[in-house]
Amino acid sequence: MSDDEIVTAVLAGRRQDFEILVRRYSGKIIHFITRMTQDRDEAQSISQEVFLKIFQNLPYYRKENNFSAFIFKIAKNMTLNWLNREKRTVLFSRLLGREFNKAPFRQEPPRVSPQDQKERESEISRNLLLLAEEQRLALILKVYLEFSYKQIREITGWSIPKIETLISRAKSRLKKNILLQERSREVVYTARKK
Amino acid sequence: MNCKKVSRLLSIYQDRELTSALERQVEFHLRDCHACRSEWDGLQELVGSLKCLPPPASDPYFPTKVMAGLQDNRARKFRLLPAIAYALIFLTMFLSGFFLQLSYNNTMGAEKPKAATFTAVLLENQDLGLLAVHDNTLALFER
Repeated sequence: MSDDEIVTAVLAGRRQDFEILVRRYSGKIIHFITRMTQDRDEAQSISQEVFLKIFQNLPYYRKENNFSAFIFKIAKNMTLNWLNREKRTVLFSRLLGREFNKAPFRQEPPRVSPQDQKERESEISRNLLLLAEEQRLALILKVYLEFSYKQIREITGWSIPKIETLISRAKSRLKKNILLQERSREVVYTARKK
Repeated sequence: MNCKKVSRLLSIYQDRELTSALERQVEFHLRDCHACRSEWDGLQELVGSLKCLPPPASDPYFPTKVMAGLQDNRARKFRLLPAIAYALIFLTMFLSGFFLQLSYNNTMGAEKPKAATFTAVLLENQDLGLLAVHDNTLALFER
């Protein structure tokens, strides 16, 4: 059953068929939101809201468009809204002089050499968070979701040259940051040895 | 193709978004240029390490939770209905009371000035007079 057929069935009153779409896309949506927020619990709850929003917006879906782009556009908007709310919360907490203890936005780079896979993963996650939002969005859609530039254009509304530049800059910035961190770790490691 | 141009195109080449003609030119350049080759290796290593992040573990109950959320959303709407109905009933009662009171006041209040305004006209050469009360009631009376 194609996406469009399912949408038609749901709009005709077979609400239970929506579950097929949820099963089909939940993995990708949760993956996308997890990479954007670097917060697995929040990603789950945002994803649930995303699917509710998709359901409410099904009457506005035009079949000539790509359904995947339609749902990722909703996921992107809701994730960016969440990130903006988080930023405001962090800002207010700082203004009020409170220590903000939400993990993703205040983790410092590790000072010890990464010894296992988990540390390596959290290092990459942190570096992804250091990227500008648009760069991160473009890179995640390309690298993790493996969308083509055209599909990214449908989701974000950006031009192809802009997407090329954002992804290219994101890669350079990541490379630079990872290299810098590796060097600083080497310096610390050498100093400790001495 | 020079190194500057290749360096600009490397990321797009990696994303497999170049035209086949440009792709061939980049490949040709990479075969000969050591500096660009090392930049390319760095990019490959970076994307490789990005891809080492595994997708989050899937929650088998996620679709069920979403469908339950849809039901909740619907139920929430229906839960609001009695409240809306009560509010409408209250509003109707309040407004009808208000208008009844207003019309009662108008009726009572209107009688006072009307009592003071009447005119009597004697019809010429007749023993009859015409009495107009409240400007809208006419009555005949004998002299």
